[in-house]
This record gives sequence, structure tokens and C-alpha cells, in this order.
Amino acid sequence: MSIHIPILIIISPLLAAFLVLFTRKHKIILATVSIIASIVFTLTLSSQVLSGDKIIYHLGGWRGPIGISLVVDGLSFFFSLITLGLGLLVIIYSIPERRYGRTYYFLLLISLSSMIGVIYTADIFNMYVFYELLSLAVYLLIAYPKTGVTLRASFNYLIMGGVGLSFFLLGVGFLYAMTGTLDIFHIAERLPAAFNSSTRMVLMSIVLIVTGMGIKIAVFPLHGWLPDAHSMAPSPVSALLSGVTVKIGIYCLIRVVYTVFSTEIFLLIGSHNILMVLGVVSLLFGASMALAQKDLKRLLAYSTINQLGIVLIGLGIGTELGLTGALFHVLNHAIMKSTLFFCAGIMIAETGTREVQGLNGFSRQQPVITFAFVIASLGMIGIPPINGFASKWLICLAAVEAGYTFLVVIILTASAIAAAYYFRVIQVLFSGPLKQDPMHAHEGGQVIHGGNLFRSWPIYILAAACLLLGLIPTLGISLVKPAVSLLLFHVVP
Amino acid sequence: MTPINISLLVFMIGLYGVTSKNNLIKKIMGLTIMNGSIVLFFISIGFRETGLAPILEKGTTSGISTTILVDPLPQALMLTAIVIGISVTALALALVVKIYAKYKTLDIQQLSKER
Repeated sequence: MSIHIPILIIISPLLAAFLVLFTRKHKIILATVSIIASIVFTLTLSSQVLSGDKIIYHLGGWRGPIGISLVVDGLSFFFSLITLGLGLLVIIYSIPERRYGRTYYFLLLISLSSMIGVIYTADIFNMYVFYELLSLAVYLLIAYPKTGVTLRASFNYLIMGGVGLSFFLLGVGFLYAMTGTLDIFHIAERLPAAFNSSTRMVLMSIVLIVTGMGIKIAVFPLHGWLPDAHSMAPSPVSALLSGVTVKIGIYCLIRVVYTVFSTEIFLLIGSHNILMVLGVVSLLFGASMALAQKDLKRLLAYSTINQLGIVLIGLGIGTELGLTGALFHVLNHAIMKSTLFFCAGIMIAETGTREVQGLNGFSRQQPVITFAFVIASLGMIGIPPINGFASKWLICLAAVEAGYTFLVVIILTASAIAAAYYFRVIQVLFSGPLKQDPMHAHEGGQVIHGGNLFRSWPIYILAAACLLLGLIPTLGISLVKPAVSLLLFHVVP
Repeated sequence: MTPINISLLVFMIGLYGVTSKNNLIKKIMGLTIMNGSIVLFFISIGFRETGLAPILEKGTTSGISTTILVDPLPQALMLTAIVIGISVTALALALVVKIYAKYKTLDIQQLSKER
């Protein structure tokens, strides 16, 4: 039993997804229980993984390069924990909304299960298959309300995402042509020899895979789909997209860059500079576009581009401190951004408008929710007692240490712009009387009271996590440490 | 012109279709062409001229060296990739049907003007 835990983590939501289609009453219980079961399974592996061990599960008993294996190491454990934790909160948050039927939970569970699949699999083609499955579920989730804008947003994302995954698959093809294997760790073993004999093929595959994942992560010139998709989707789905789905792209990028193409090859080509430039550009672009937005959720969506830029800068610096900061920022951004989207969902439901200006006096109506929103947005800006500060600080330290002092200036500038747009929202929240027209509320459904238990508790939990990780950052860093030492020093199983 | 070069050329044609055509259906066609080119690419990796099917019977292995066998793995992979490609195309077309019912147009320029 205990040997089979890695596959059980994937199977449990997948099985529940299909069972959900056959029940009417128990769909929520089923979905919640399956995710909780996955979390419990994951936690049973924690002591083994955090001590630096690597758990390898051979699917169907087929070993090594012939069969597909699942690998749970520091990096995949960290990402799967984020995915499952936020997935559970997203399901809880969607409970009060009655128009979410069985298909909604089906798609949610499928997407969560395939995310875990992408994270755990050690076979690079299998990674593509799971990623495509994840994307299909996500396209449908965005289009779930079936309004014109959501359909268009979903179609845009489908085309861009399809192109991105095609690039990824072509890159995988080049890797296979050079090394004759699809297992990530075997490719990593054989690649240095291939690099010496056919440098151009290696370059081509790096370019293709980084471009493909760049579309999925929405780095600056390839970000076209993100503002529409993230802002038009239903609020719990927005939280899932911004908090988790984008992080899967980051995970694939890290896996491919640091494990498949080892750090040495990567530095030799100078690709870390490319990651850094992409990071800087999307950082500044996201910040300045967010400043210009009137729509609350669209502002949050552009802020995602901004924050992912910081993560990319951390990855580009590539030192131990830089990677720690980048991975810690992945965790922090997941927590903060889903808090913000959850709050935005309640704000939009209560005031009946998506405009920032329409939120006048919301703090009087929902003081606790407003408090959570303020905490998370202070974290986004990077103000000390909140978690966002800790990871930004680490990345800035890493930049100074590695001799890229100008990066600190750029990150601080972007933080100042972030302060400008978040304080604009906060100021509106605290000012003036509430505009009373509750009747014109909501995107087609009934008005849901924000004080609802299921709606507010996920927000409280996440806001508390923001404060906790900000006050005791060592908690998060100890979670990240095994992953970083695995990436840089290749701690062998 | 090796098959690999041809497949990359076709990939570029598909990319051109996706990025520069205004009609939604043509964009989907571009995506399908990209998918097809990847299938061609993978198959040509595994292809060997005058290669044999990689089926070994008991007792006959001694005479055949594995260097003249065709690599079967890319073909198996491409079966999966084709199925995935079809599902993406089906979903895209379903979305297009819905979009057309709402806006009565398939032109992306006109769609972006709609609110």
C-alpha cells in the first residue's frame, strides 16, 4: 500500500471526477473528500521527502527508461502541496454558488488531478499529455458561464495554449532525436554528450521548450491570453488559474532548465540572461498595465504578469539564494493572489460591479474581507510583515550578491508602481458611502452574501497564511530548501 | 530536403496561419497543421530506410541486428498526440459554434470590437 502512494495521489481526484458525474447530491462531499485524501497521501511522504530522499514509483512495474515513472522529490512535493492546498480551498469557495453543476466539479477535479500528474511524472512526453489534459479542462472552466466574453477569452487561450504546447512537443521531439529516451533523468545523463556533438539541436530544443512554456507562463510578449482569461473566468476559477495553473508552467520550466538541461549547459549558452530579461520586461510591463486598469479582476490579472516577472528574475539569477527566493515567491504569490481573487469575487457579488470605482465604502459592509484584501495587497507590494516581502528581499539579496545591482532598482521601481495601483483600490474601499443598488448584482446568478461561511473561511485561512509566512519566513524556506539543493547540487537518491 | 526540414517548414506554415489569419476557423486550421507537422517530425525521427518492423520472434534474434529496425516509440507517441490534437480541435470548434451563435461573425477584428 505505502509503495503505491504517488499514484494514489493522482488517482483519487481522477476517480472522484468521474463519480461526481453520477451523483446529484453528494458532488461537493465527494470532491472535497478526494482532495483531502490526496493531501493526506502527500503528507505521509513529507518526512521522507523533506529529509532529501527521492521516491520513485514505476507505473505497472516497468522500470527505468522503458516504463513511465513518477518521482516525488523536493521540487515536485513542494509544487503538489501548493496545488492540492489551493485546490481544496477553491472547491470550498465554490460551494455556495448554486449554478456550478456537476460538470464544474468534474472539470475542477480533472484539472487538479492532471496538475499533480504534470508535477510527478518523470517522462517528458507524459508531461505533455497531462499538460494538454489540464489545459482542456481549464479552457472549459473559463468558458463555464457561457457568456460571450468568457467564450472569446477561452478561445484565445485555446489558440495560444495550443501553439505553446505544440512548441513544447517539438522541443521534446528534438530531445528524443538526440538522446533516444524520454525519461527526464536519462535525458539529463545523455545530454552533455549530445551537446558536444550537436550543439544546434540542443539550442533549438531549449528555444522551443522555453518559448512554449513562456506562452503558458505569460511572459511579456506572449501574455496576450492572460488578462482576458484570468479576469473573465468565474472568481474561484480565476484564483485557481492565477494561483496554481500558471505555476505549473513555472514548474515545467524549472524541471526542463535545471534538471534536463543541467545548470552548466544552461550557463554556457547564456540562457539565464534571457530568463532575466524576460523577467524584467514582464515585471515592468505587468506593473504599468495594471496601473491603467479600471476593472478590478483585470488589474489583478496584470499583477500576476508583474509577480511572475519577479519569479523569472529569481530563476535567471540561478544562485542558491536566487532559487530559494524564486520558489518561495511562487508559494507566496499563490497564497496572496488567490486571497485577492477570492475577495474580488465577494466584492463583485456584493456591489454588482467589476469597476474599481464602484467599490466605494465596501470596508463598512465587510470589514474582515477588506482586512484580508489589504493584507494580501500589502504582501503583493512587498511591505515587511507580510510574506511577499520575505521572498522579494531574498531575490534582491541574491541579485546584489551575484552582481546584478540594477535588478534591485528595477524590482523596487515595480514595487512602487504596484503600491500605486493597490493603494488606489484600498483607498476606494475605505472611502465614501456604499452605492446601494444590490438588485443589479452579479453575472447572471443570485446574490450570495459575502458573510457566507464557505466563502469567508478560505479567505481567512489564506490571509492568516500570508501573515504567518511573513512573520516566520523560515517555515516556507525550510519547505523550499530540499528543492533548491536538489536543483543545484543534484543530491542523488 | 529531409523529412525533418519539411516538417519544420510545415510547422512554420501552421504558425503563420494561427498568428496572421483573422478567421477563427482558419486559426484552428493553422493549429491542426502545426499538429500534423509534429506528427511528421516524430515519425521521421524513427524512420530508417529499408528498416524492418521491430518484431522479433523467439529464436530469430541472432541474425537480425537492431540497427536495421525502425524505432517504434515515436509512432506510439504520435497516436497519443493525434488523439489529443483531435480533442483540442473539437473543443475549439465547439467554442466557435457558440461564438458564432452569439455574435454572428467569425472575424477576430470584429469580435474584438464587441463587448
